[in-house]
Amino acid sequence: MKVLVAVKRVVDYNVKVRAKADGSDVDLNNVKMAINPFCEIAVEEAVRLKEAGVATEVVAVSIGDKSCQEQIRTALALGADRGIQVETEGSVEPLVVAKLLKGVVEKEQPQLVILGKQSIDGDNNQTGQMLGALTGMAQGTFASEVAVDGDKVNVTREIDGGLQTVGLNLPAIVTTDLRLNEPRYASLPNIMKAKKKPLDVFTPADLGVEVTSHLTTLKVEPPAERQAGIKVESVADLVDKLKNEAKVI
Amino acid sequence: MSESTALFDLTLSDEQRMNQDTMRRFASAELREQAREADEAGAMPGDFCQRSMELGLALMPIPEALGGAGVPRSPVSNVLNAEDLAHGDMGLALAALTPLAVVNTILDYGTEAQQEALLPRFCGEEFYPATIAFKEPRATFNPGKLETTARREGDGFVLNGRKTLVPLGVEAQLLLVIAELEGEGPAAFIVEGEVAGLERSASRNMGLRTVQVADLSFDNVALPASALLGDGTINLQRFIDLSRLGLCALGVGVSRAVLEYVTEYVNEREAFGEPISHRQSVAFMVADIAIELDAMRLMVWQAASRAERGEDFHKDAVMAQRFCADKAMEIGTNGVQLLGGHGFCREHPVEMWYRNLRAIAILDGVATV
Repeated sequence: MKVLVAVKRVVDYNVKVRAKADGSDVDLNNVKMAINPFCEIAVEEAVRLKEAGVATEVVAVSIGDKSCQEQIRTALALGADRGIQVETEGSVEPLVVAKLLKGVVEKEQPQLVILGKQSIDGDNNQTGQMLGALTGMAQGTFASEVAVDGDKVNVTREIDGGLQTVGLNLPAIVTTDLRLNEPRYASLPNIMKAKKKPLDVFTPADLGVEVTSHLTTLKVEPPAERQAGIKVESVADLVDKLKNEAKVI
Repeated sequence: MSESTALFDLTLSDEQRMNQDTMRRFASAELREQAREADEAGAMPGDFCQRSMELGLALMPIPEALGGAGVPRSPVSNVLNAEDLAHGDMGLALAALTPLAVVNTILDYGTEAQQEALLPRFCGEEFYPATIAFKEPRATFNPGKLETTARREGDGFVLNGRKTLVPLGVEAQLLLVIAELEGEGPAAFIVEGEVAGLERSASRNMGLRTVQVADLSFDNVALPASALLGDGTINLQRFIDLSRLGLCALGVGVSRAVLEYVTEYVNEREAFGEPISHRQSVAFMVADIAIELDAMRLMVWQAASRAERGEDFHKDAVMAQRFCADKAMEIGTNGVQLLGGHGFCREHPVEMWYRNLRAIAILDGVATV
């Protein structure tokens, strides 16, 4: 079984992001970039499927300029077998990403596509679902457990108030939640081996997709700074303030 | 460093940057998080060594035919790794790096047969505790004049003497003991852990409490002929210099931890209605740490780069060691100073880093890069 995993290059989750002075975007100057944490969980899940003898090949795909090859290499170091870069410029909105991924799916014919449920930069949480709609494949989103069973995959989903398990016919799409697994460290020998694994580059035209944009970012600004809190003397004080200042009761 | 054609380029290669990512994540999750508790307990977290296997440090230079990764030995990559691990915790970094130091030394001097016999032990699923015993417990210790001696007897050797500050010394199943082969000069001996006449005791120290450091004594330990590493000659100066670079890099890592911690502290801590970083006496001290840290790192990189190119790096290693040992201690004490009374408390890590940084000037013969 072939598994396709999508990985996105995003600002490292440890970085405190800043808006550009002109408010046009997040300032990416000299900022450490990394693989999106949810995508990393997706890679780990695919590699575990391979180690368990369920998957035979894991292909990592990323969409972006040449710099995203670094994240593909990371996926290869984590255990993916080969990489695909779809070369685009500038930011690409979820619908275009989904269309490009559909092109890759048609080319590669994977039985399972694993994606992060969202990327920590845009926080859109759309790509997996859009890919499901475009390809007509079954989808199991927010997965906290994935179990392949013959030509089906059972996906346990984290939903409000509990867990839901859905059975999907393969080929299927799974998007990962945080608790699906704990990704391994890319070991030093595997980082060296990743260098020798194949990485193909396609253009959107190769996949028959035209990159268009329906979205414009109007403004990026930091959240308002939180004001210091106060300590109240008594319960009566608290009730009074909730009633008259905060006006919440 | 990268294969740039530039005259002088300190840009890391893609692989080095990925290594750095792995090291930093591992150091933050597995070393820094555990350091305080392990320091208080005076013991390594039980599964730490096994967890460190995930990094594959010792596998790197071992030939593929013997189960390793077969990546050419890189002192530069090794000092980068040492810095990032020590940024988490110096004692645990030493624990993770010690088997690599043994592997490096076996690769440097071991015969083909010895490499084939010993190196696969590091390539299994389980962490293989191995160490180098070099330093001796006396005030007049002179690396050039070892008092642990081996004399030839029959086909083999008899080993006598004492060693100290041996990381993983209590649990090591394989020890490389550097001793004076009587009448012939310094040599390294392969000592299996269960040999008769070897006594080990855990030593209690001011710092490095997260790695088990031991005192060893050898009382007429009988060794077979095959215990002599290589042809019996060891370039002691080079061996010491390579370990100095590892130690210096550990010092750079801990010093970086201090810099980051105090920078945040002095910007948050307020006195007289403003952050204490607004006081020049404080700001200058932090700036000095940043400047000295960069200088330390560059000296280590320069020496490691020369070592990697096969050039003579003795002078560079000595200068780096002298500078790093001095500055590491200064940065350690200033880290405590900048936190004032808080620096003295165990709630903050600076006192622990201060105690660990004292070791840079004292250790020798470990962390060979």
